[in-house]
Amino acid sequence: MVRIVSTLIAIVFFIGFTCSTSFAAIGCELNDPDRDVQKIFPQSTGYKTDYFTIQENGGEKLKKEVEEKLGDTFDPIYESLDVPYSYYTILKGKETIGYVHGVNQKGVYGTLQIILATDPDGKIVGFYYQKISSPEAPKFRDKAFTARFDGLTLEDFYKSDDPNGKVAAIKDPSVKSREDFKSTIRGTKKNLILLNAFLLDKTHEGRHKEKVK
Amino acid sequence: MVMWRAAKNILIAVAALLQLLGNDAFAGESLFYKEINLIGGYSKQNGWIGKTETLSNSVGFEHYAKFSSDYGDYLTTDLQVRFAYDSSQRFDEACSVELHNAWAEYRINGAAKLKAGHFEPAFGLEQVIDAHSTILQTLAMKNIGYTKDWGLELRGSLAAFDYWVAMQLGSGMSIRRIDSSYLFSARVGTPAGRDFQYGVSALCGNVLDTEGMSTFPKNHLLSNEAIQKERIGFDCLYSWNSFVLKGETAFGVNNNDSVIGYLAEVDYSPPKSQNWEFEAQFQSFVNDLGKSRTDDSTLSIGLTYRLSQAVTLRAAFQHDLNRYKQKKDTQFVVQFYYYGR
Repeated sequence: MVRIVSTLIAIVFFIGFTCSTSFAAIGCELNDPDRDVQKIFPQSTGYKTDYFTIQENGGEKLKKEVEEKLGDTFDPIYESLDVPYSYYTILKGKETIGYVHGVNQKGVYGTLQIILATDPDGKIVGFYYQKISSPEAPKFRDKAFTARFDGLTLEDFYKSDDPNGKVAAIKDPSVKSREDFKSTIRGTKKNLILLNAFLLDKTHEGRHKEKVK
Repeated sequence: MVMWRAAKNILIAVAALLQLLGNDAFAGESLFYKEINLIGGYSKQNGWIGKTETLSNSVGFEHYAKFSSDYGDYLTTDLQVRFAYDSSQRFDEACSVELHNAWAEYRINGAAKLKAGHFEPAFGLEQVIDAHSTILQTLAMKNIGYTKDWGLELRGSLAAFDYWVAMQLGSGMSIRRIDSSYLFSARVGTPAGRDFQYGVSALCGNVLDTEGMSTFPKNHLLSNEAIQKERIGFDCLYSWNSFVLKGETAFGVNNNDSVIGYLAEVDYSPPKSQNWEFEAQFQSFVNDLGKSRTDDSTLSIGLTYRLSQAVTLRAAFQHDLNRYKQKKDTQFVVQFYYYGR
C-alpha cells in the first residue's frame, strides 16, 4: 500500500512537471488516404501528408486572426492550439493537382469530421462527412446536399450573410437538425481559413517571390 | 543488474532512433506525443492494485512519422514505448520497457502496403478500434493471448473491402521463438470509418503462452510448449447517433479443445455532455466446449470523462461471473491518462 501511494505521488509529481508545457489532440486524418484520394482525384498518382498546428504557425496571433475571419471563438477543448491538422497534397507525377484536408467540428450528437477536396487555388471540388452522428445523417450525406459545396471558395463564405450569396443558397437538408447544419457551415469555413493560413498563403507567397526573382 | 544494463541499452537505442527520425535530412512529417498512464484500484482477490492485465503505471511516448519523395508518401513509421512500473514487484523487478507499436510500413502502391515490426494480428475488433489505453479491452487477450506480435503484414484496399494478411512470431510482446511458434492471421473487412463496419477473420499457429506486457526484460513465459490455435471470427461495430455498439466472436480449437469466445459492448455519450462516455461490456471465453463451466466470463461497466484533448479520466467496475481454474474476482479501477504533445 505504501509502495502504491509513493508511486502515485511520484507519478503525479512527474505529471505536474511534464504537462505544464502543452496539451494536444489527435488530428482529423483520412481513414484510408489511398482509397479516399483516388475516389476524388482518380488521375492522382500519389499524395504527400503534412501536419500543421496553429501553435507552430503563429500561436495566439494566428488563432485570433482565424477567429476573426470565422466570426466565432474556438472551443477550448475541441479546438486547442496544438491540435495537428492533416493536409494531403495530391500529386500527378510531381505536379500538385489539389489538396484534401479535414477538420473536427462539434455537432449535436458528436464530432463531425468534415473533409474538403480543393483545387490548387482553394476552390472546393469535393465535400463529404468522414463521420457524422445524427438521426438525419443520410440527409446530410446525400449527394444532392454535399454537391452544393462544389465550386465554393473562402470568399463565398466571407459573404455568407449575403442573402443572395452562394453560401446562403445552400439549404438545410434536415428537418430537426438545424444545429448540425450550422456546424457544417462553420466547420467548412474554418477548414478553408486554415487551408489558406497553413498552405495557400505560403504557397502564393512562394510563387510571388519566384515571380519577383 | 542485467535488467538495468538492458534498460540502459534500450534507452540509448531509442534515443538514437529518435535522433535519426528527427533529423530533417531523413524524416518527413512527424508527430511526437508524450504519454502518462496512472492506474490504481481495488481487487477483491488481490487488495490494492496498481495495474490491470494490459495497463501499468507508466510514462512513455509515441513517434509517428511519414516519409515522402517528390512523388508522394512512401513510408510510415510508428514507435510507441512505455516505461512501466509494477508496484506489486520488488523495485529491481518492477521496471520494464513495453514496446507497443514499433513498425514501419512501406506503400507499395495505392492498393497494397507492407508492414514490418510489432503490431496487431490480423484478427477481430483489435484491427478496428484503438484499445491500447483503455481499461475495457477487446477479446484479443483471451482469444490469442496478446494484442500485438512481431512479424510482417500485407494490407490494402480493394474496391469494396480492406484486407490484412499477417505472419508473426506467435510470441506477443517479447521477441522469442520456441517450439516452432508462429501465427498466421488474415482479415477481410469493410473500409474504416463507416457507420456499420464488419469483418471476417481467420488464424492458425503455434502461440506461446505468456503473461505480462513487458518487452524488455522479456515477459513471463508460462510454458515452453506452444498452444496450437485455429480460429475463425466475425466482428462488427455500429455507430448510431450517440451510441457505438461493438461485437465480436471467435470459434476454433486450442490443441484438442474446442473453444468459443464472444464480446458485446455498448458505449453511450450524452449529446449535451459529449465529454462523458458510459460503457457496458460483457465478454466470455469458453476454454473447452466439451466440459461445463470452463468459461472466463466478465461483466464490465466503464465511465470515461474527457477533461481536455489530452487528458482522459476513466473508471471501471469489473465482475467475473466465472473463471476457469482461477478464483473469481471483482475489481474497481481508476485511470488518469495523458496523451499530448
